[in-house]
Amino acid sequence: MLTLTSPVETPLHRLRAGGKLGALALFTFALFWTHSALVLGLGLILVAGLYLGAGGLRFARHGLQMLRPLWPFVAVVALWHLWLEDLAMGAVVVLRMVTAVAAANLVTMTTRLSDMITVLEGLARPLAPVLPPRRLALAIALVIRFIPVLSGRAEQLAQAWRARSGRPPRWRLFGPVALAALDDAETVAEALRARGGAG
Amino acid sequence: MTQIPSAAPPGLVLTGACVSLAGKAVLHDLTLHLQEQRIGIIGRNGSGKSTLLRLLAGLIAPSTGRVQVEGVDPFRARREMLSHLGILFQNPDHQILFPTVEEELRFGLEQMGLPKAEAQAQVMALLARHGRSHWQGVSTATLSQGQRHWLCLQAVLLMQPRSILLDEPFAGLDLPTQARLTRALAALPQRLITITHDPGSLAGCDRVIWLEHGRVAADGPPEAVLPRFEAEMQRLGGLDADADLAG
Amino acid sequence: MERNLTHIALFAALIAVLGLVPRVDLAAGVPITAQSLGIMLCGTVLGAKRGALAVLLFLLLVALGLPLLSGGRGGLGVFVGPSAGFLVGFPIAAFVAGWIMERTTLPPFWAAASGGVIGGIGVLYVFGISGMAIVLDKTLSEAALLGLGFLPGDVIKAALAGLVTQAIARARPGALLARA
Ligand SMILES: Nc1ncnc2c1ncn2[C@@H]1O[C@H](COP(=O)(O)OP(=O)(O)OP(=O)(O)O)[C@@H](O)[C@H]1O
Ligand SMILES: [Mg+2]
Repeated sequence: MLTLTSPVETPLHRLRAGGKLGALALFTFALFWTHSALVLGLGLILVAGLYLGAGGLRFARHGLQMLRPLWPFVAVVALWHLWLEDLAMGAVVVLRMVTAVAAANLVTMTTRLSDMITVLEGLARPLAPVLPPRRLALAIALVIRFIPVLSGRAEQLAQAWRARSGRPPRWRLFGPVALAALDDAETVAEALRARGGAG
Repeated sequence: MTQIPSAAPPGLVLTGACVSLAGKAVLHDLTLHLQEQRIGIIGRNGSGKSTLLRLLAGLIAPSTGRVQVEGVDPFRARREMLSHLGILFQNPDHQILFPTVEEELRFGLEQMGLPKAEAQAQVMALLARHGRSHWQGVSTATLSQGQRHWLCLQAVLLMQPRSILLDEPFAGLDLPTQARLTRALAALPQRLITITHDPGSLAGCDRVIWLEHGRVAADGPPEAVLPRFEAEMQRLGGLDADADLAG
Repeated sequence: MERNLTHIALFAALIAVLGLVPRVDLAAGVPITAQSLGIMLCGTVLGAKRGALAVLLFLLLVALGLPLLSGGRGGLGVFVGPSAGFLVGFPIAAFVAGWIMERTTLPPFWAAASGGVIGGIGVLYVFGISGMAIVLDKTLSEAALLGLGFLPGDVIKAALAGLVTQAIARARPGALLARA
């Protein structure tokens, strides 16, 4: 399964995942606490510095790509505040949003899935009486396993449709795909039982 | 446990077992004692073969009657069953639970109580024995049909169950893969109960059971059952209309 | 036990797969992704509790760093961005849609479609718009204006949730756990 962890190996990859997540939480909290454009600007420079310093240009460009979904919001906020002639406030909003998302993405890009799961298992330990850690791990593995299976099934159904119809299937595939998920859930439950259950 | 396994008859025992699925009677009053080493199950599509296998494996419970495997109820005693029974599903995609080969192989061993490190060592040893050490982290979704089949079989064999149930193990495999699998299966010390549509592959069996409409149509050594089965299939194949396939 | 777990996991996978489906251009050229349809279906097919758990499991994998949100988004960033409110609202939307499916005796299409409208639009927008208001520092009504752009697509998805749920009710009556 493809993850968002960057293949560009940075020194940040070697830091402990728990530490990175703790620092991120504090940093994000501070961003939403302050209302000073100056402080937020410094925050953004810090994050940009981390991207460039730790991973170099290619890594930073990848980080920029991950911010792309934000641009429409940046545009809307900028226009809005331009119209209100309150640019300082607009700068605060945009800086905060971009910095918070970039910092969070940085942690995601430099932390492997297995390290994340280890942290998660630690965090979930107090829940053990209602949610045994093994069951949580099993659930995560099942989702990762069945995303490609189900999307393969969707692709097969689309081909079967196209083989017998001139029109693209569009929404008509959603029903069969949902049924496939239900059927798989039944057979997987059996496969799990066959090997000792989920207990 | 009220039963003492050693006092119970060895093997798999069905006593008056019936199964209904979605309100429809699929298996009728089956009484069988399976203790031979190589058992074949044949029958037409929809005759209830897969249902019988799932019943024996304890994946479904009989609606009436009783099932016992080495003296215990396979539906209830799931963990205990792991060392008694393994089942190879007809479709590998229904069996593979994990995203990587190693996790898939390790799971069964961990379910049997092995610590993770030891389970992992066994998995690595198995892969090394078959010259596939590089498969460890390979994504199960990228394996071919035959490779997935192999993975499922190894996942079952690693748990060393005393009996293995196989649902059409050769479906969808190319000829060399079939031949290899046949050899691998023949060499196993375990009891094998195999569903197949190829009567030819059952010639060396100890016993063949022919199911028809959820009942036993014939039961005995292959030389007694197979000729009758093949003659009947020939006859049906010659007819144009098939009143039976409706189920 | 196993069945609960596998239904939750498979529907978490279904949400992801519906997000991968390349945008379907609906009749009027309104591009939509089917991800929020997946959220609605979790509730209307699996029921309130299992549906909400499936959505939570899905979000957990997104947070762990898998790019499963439509458009290949994922990771921790999405939880502090302007759409974070929608993510928080997802499991609650599924719960409400499932609750309506479970507690009403309407025929499957109408129960699921109203579950989709009330849970997948009403409840979800309350969270999503509040989230945008906070992150973008706008008033609720200003943020609501931004959210309205998605409304036509989501109404269509609620209707689709009704159709799909009805199709499942016909094809596999026993599999519709919300009504089992
Ligand atoms: N989940 C189910 N619900 C209702 N009926 C079922 C179910 N599974 C199987 N059946 C019915 O039970 C009968 C026996 O099915 P089974 O799968 O055991 O057949 P089979 O002998 O394995 O057939 P094949 O050779 O096609 O694999 C069939 O008539 C089928 O329609
Ligand atoms: Mg079968």
